[in-house]
Amino acid sequence: MTIATFPPDPKPEPGWTRYFGFCTDAKVIGIQYIVTAFFFFLIGGLLAMVIRGELITPASDLVDRAVYNGIYTMHGTIMLFLFIFPVLNGLNNLLIPTMIGAPDMAFPRLNAVAFWLVPIFGAVLMASFFVPGGPAYAGWWSYPPVSIQNPVGHFINGQGLWITAVALSGVSSIMGALNFVTTILRMRAPGMTITRMPVYCWTALAAQCLQLIGLPALTGGAIMLLLDLSFGTSFYRPEGGGDPVLYQHFFWFYSHPAVYVIILPVFGIFSELFPVYSRKPLFGYLYVALASFIIVGLGLIVWVHHMFPSGVAQWMRNLFMVTTMLIAVPTGVKVFAWLGTLWGGKLQLTTPMLFCLGGLFNFVFAGITGVMLATVPVDIHVSNTYFVVGHFHYVIYGAAVMGIFAAIYHWFPKFTGRMPYEGLGKLHCLLTFVGANLNFLPMHPLGLMGMPRRVSSYDPEFAFWNVIASLGAFLLGVSIIPFLLNMISSWIRGPRASHNPWNAIGLEWLLPSPPPEDNFGEDVPTVISRPYGYGSGQPLVEHQDDIERRLQLQEATA
Amino acid sequence: MTSSSNRSINTTAVAGLSLWVGVLVVLSHWMGNQAHRWLPVSASTAAPLVDNLFSLETAIGTFVFGAVVSVMVWVILFNRAEKYDTSDAVPVEGNTALEVTWTAIPFVLVMAIAFWTIRAEQQLGTLGPMEHIHLRNPVEQAGGYAGDRLPAEQVEVVARQWSWEFRYPDADVSATELHLAVDQPVTFRLVSEDVLHGFYIPAFRLKQDVIPGRAIDLNLTPTREGTYRLRDSQFSGTWFAANQANVVVESADDHAAWLQRSAAAPLQPGLSLAVEEYALRQASSTRAWATVPPAPPPQVNVPGSPDQPHDA
Amino acid sequence: MTSTSPLNGGIPAQPAAHAHVNHNLTGFIIFLCSESVIFLAFFSGYAILKTSALDWLPPGVDGLEWRTPLINTAVLISSSGTIFLAEHFKAREKLWLFRGFWLLTMAMGAYFLYGQAVEWSGLAFGFGSGTFGGTFYLLTGFHGLHVATGILLMAIMLAKSFIPGVYAGGEQGVQATSLFWHFVDVIWIVLFLLLYVWQ
Repeated sequence: MTIATFPPDPKPEPGWTRYFGFCTDAKVIGIQYIVTAFFFFLIGGLLAMVIRGELITPASDLVDRAVYNGIYTMHGTIMLFLFIFPVLNGLNNLLIPTMIGAPDMAFPRLNAVAFWLVPIFGAVLMASFFVPGGPAYAGWWSYPPVSIQNPVGHFINGQGLWITAVALSGVSSIMGALNFVTTILRMRAPGMTITRMPVYCWTALAAQCLQLIGLPALTGGAIMLLLDLSFGTSFYRPEGGGDPVLYQHFFWFYSHPAVYVIILPVFGIFSELFPVYSRKPLFGYLYVALASFIIVGLGLIVWVHHMFPSGVAQWMRNLFMVTTMLIAVPTGVKVFAWLGTLWGGKLQLTTPMLFCLGGLFNFVFAGITGVMLATVPVDIHVSNTYFVVGHFHYVIYGAAVMGIFAAIYHWFPKFTGRMPYEGLGKLHCLLTFVGANLNFLPMHPLGLMGMPRRVSSYDPEFAFWNVIASLGAFLLGVSIIPFLLNMISSWIRGPRASHNPWNAIGLEWLLPSPPPEDNFGEDVPTVISRPYGYGSGQPLVEHQDDIERRLQLQEATA
Repeated sequence: MTSSSNRSINTTAVAGLSLWVGVLVVLSHWMGNQAHRWLPVSASTAAPLVDNLFSLETAIGTFVFGAVVSVMVWVILFNRAEKYDTSDAVPVEGNTALEVTWTAIPFVLVMAIAFWTIRAEQQLGTLGPMEHIHLRNPVEQAGGYAGDRLPAEQVEVVARQWSWEFRYPDADVSATELHLAVDQPVTFRLVSEDVLHGFYIPAFRLKQDVIPGRAIDLNLTPTREGTYRLRDSQFSGTWFAANQANVVVESADDHAAWLQRSAAAPLQPGLSLAVEEYALRQASSTRAWATVPPAPPPQVNVPGSPDQPHDA
Repeated sequence: MTSTSPLNGGIPAQPAAHAHVNHNLTGFIIFLCSESVIFLAFFSGYAILKTSALDWLPPGVDGLEWRTPLINTAVLISSSGTIFLAEHFKAREKLWLFRGFWLLTMAMGAYFLYGQAVEWSGLAFGFGSGTFGGTFYLLTGFHGLHVATGILLMAIMLAKSFIPGVYAGGEQGVQATSLFWHFVDVIWIVLFLLLYVWQ
């Protein structure tokens, strides 16, 4: 390796216009994914405000019931397919090549295509608001027969567009998964054996394997749904001999692993950030890494827990109760590992750290309600009620979104070359944590009392907790403002960032901020020690001192 | 440091930890008791099973959550870096004994919960077999369900978009308000004429999806007189939220009298809030998004009253 | 796997060290594994609907005729053999033999599709004839789409084989297409067993 030429002289910063075009640099694609995702996050969030505005009173008095059903359906669909999966793919694009020392993804053009499918299917989904009959209205699950009733009777209808959009999303995700898996398996830096790889890459690998295995099942089920909706078949139509519950099996065979696709990278983020901000190695690195794959295996055999009241056999319910409960074990290994990392550390309560701590708090709470939901008799009572809505929003918003925010604040300096403002960050964190708890905690008593989910109106005894939940939701809406202000303002005129503002250990922190187009290029350093070597005094790579010196020199003369 | 003060530091730590664990145990026990208050009134034989399980899990969950949060609070208070200290902490890479412990204990715990649950389900026998594919079910073929007496009453439930119809074939009565006799096992035969619905009575803690094209059996035994709500729990379209009915649990004598009275009552349209709202919607000029029109309300002997207050 | 330099003046395509060891084949194999799951989903859907149906076959239909499909199956399975032979000859740089067997494979694939179309046109039930009709046409149609895709890929590889120098090293396209063809073949064997044998 020739360190004499690394880091290369900084080129004039490429224009902002490349973010709007077909660019094959994973770092550009990563930003494209993330910004696009947050655009749709705002739309999905606006829909959430309408939902909570309707539910702040018992009667259906804000919007027409059919409109409400379309809105809650699109809220879920947008948040999942247009926000959370794209934003995680964005992080993968930024982090995977730089963390493993690769110049780019294995298939850069496929990478760009995968991204550009997102605004395309986003447009298809948004268009469904404007076709006669309105958008899909049967929930993000689209269970038949409701989803194939097609009240307007047109060939082009909201549900058909929904299925098309979700299918395109699947294609995009599979393309991404092929890229991520191949890159992680084949393009690591010399010396970076699989047991020296950062946990984020382990969890990304695990999550993308789940995508590859699960998505085709959803695609198959969705193709049959579309055929039933638009071409007169009867796969799920009882009058024609079909079985509506068959759809549920296809749907959940993917959509349960999908929740692990969402949370595994967040586990990775926590595993990366807790060591940095405790100045301690990750406790039990190998166990944390391997637990990711135990979760993959178990995650594929629990899907029927979404269907306990659907009429499946009792032996099946008991079997899936057991497998679902087992997932608590590898998850617990990770949670305890993070606690072990924090214990005896030298904590720095920066914005990323606060988001991680808040996320962990919410996650443990959600894990407990998860075990309750795995228990068949309890689930018979609370399934399809607000208890479930509370549970999954705690995981997705309370843990995953907070983890994603943590990642954005943490790696913002690396990929934009600027430091985000800490004060606004902490404000964002506080408003998010309080808002999320106010919004989603009251949903648990509501569910226990018997309030079903997806309702546009409810009996008056549910009013009290609904008011609190709605106030929490409005606070969450407000919490986005400091985030957006911070991102825009810091990127344009924040203070310049050094190559390693957090004094973290990792290959990406041995690159300039922002990294050159091909990252290390030909001069990939050789990894000589395990990750998270805080306190060990060991360098991560060969000639690390030289690399650091040259980076500092470059920054001093910039 | 002398060895005696080393020992006293350890003793203090152990004593403090034991005290804190004791506090958490007390708190968890208390939360477990509180959990009963978050649930509706208990009105069927299944309810105590559900409530006790939920209470147990709340107690265990409180302990786990409390322990985790205690660790987090401790480190935030006592393991903070000094203001300008960016140095590393004492590195600890791991501890195999701890890993084994915190893998084994959760494993045993969740398996214990699962095992107890399966045992309790079998003993009570109230939770099944609610299978919509009846593949050679010997219990059903023998005409009985383990743990329950033979059902004394059979009620057919017809779910539609968007109303609930209850038929008592033996007494030739139909209604849109469900009447049951307290302490009498009843078997429901659930059918849907259109889409998926969910037959859910929170006070009974029981729920069964109603699947078009098949008939599904659900058994239960109400244990408390009162009025409760039946709510559609599986999204069924535009007026899903309005697809609810009242459930009246009364003494056996009152129930028999009701059946007799109702058989003589003339047929009239049953309750269906969807039908009323649909009429208003059609009359108004604002064109909202499309909807499937509601099924006409079933013709029944007893519509019931929409203003009937309910206990849960 | 590195590329030998093409005969175009010795200008290397990319700098040697990061000659971008080509990962296309790895990616393609992973893709095939993922694609198999969608077939598995359709297979299990078929099995579940068939075993739980009260009246599986539509009125007037007694079952599927299996003799002609068996001949089609034999042709398709043999085409896996011919494509294997084609690769064998390409490895020995006997390009005309390669092209011959490659073309033969395409012809056999086309014959299979023709046989499928003939079978479809002679059937007494349609796509909307209950779950039997739906699953039959879905399974055979989706598989047929893959056969057609395979033939198209082979046509592209065949065309590329006439461009000088392309196959002096970059065989990944041929390897991938051949893998795809074997994949399609294996899927068909399972399909044949499910649809025609298990009646």
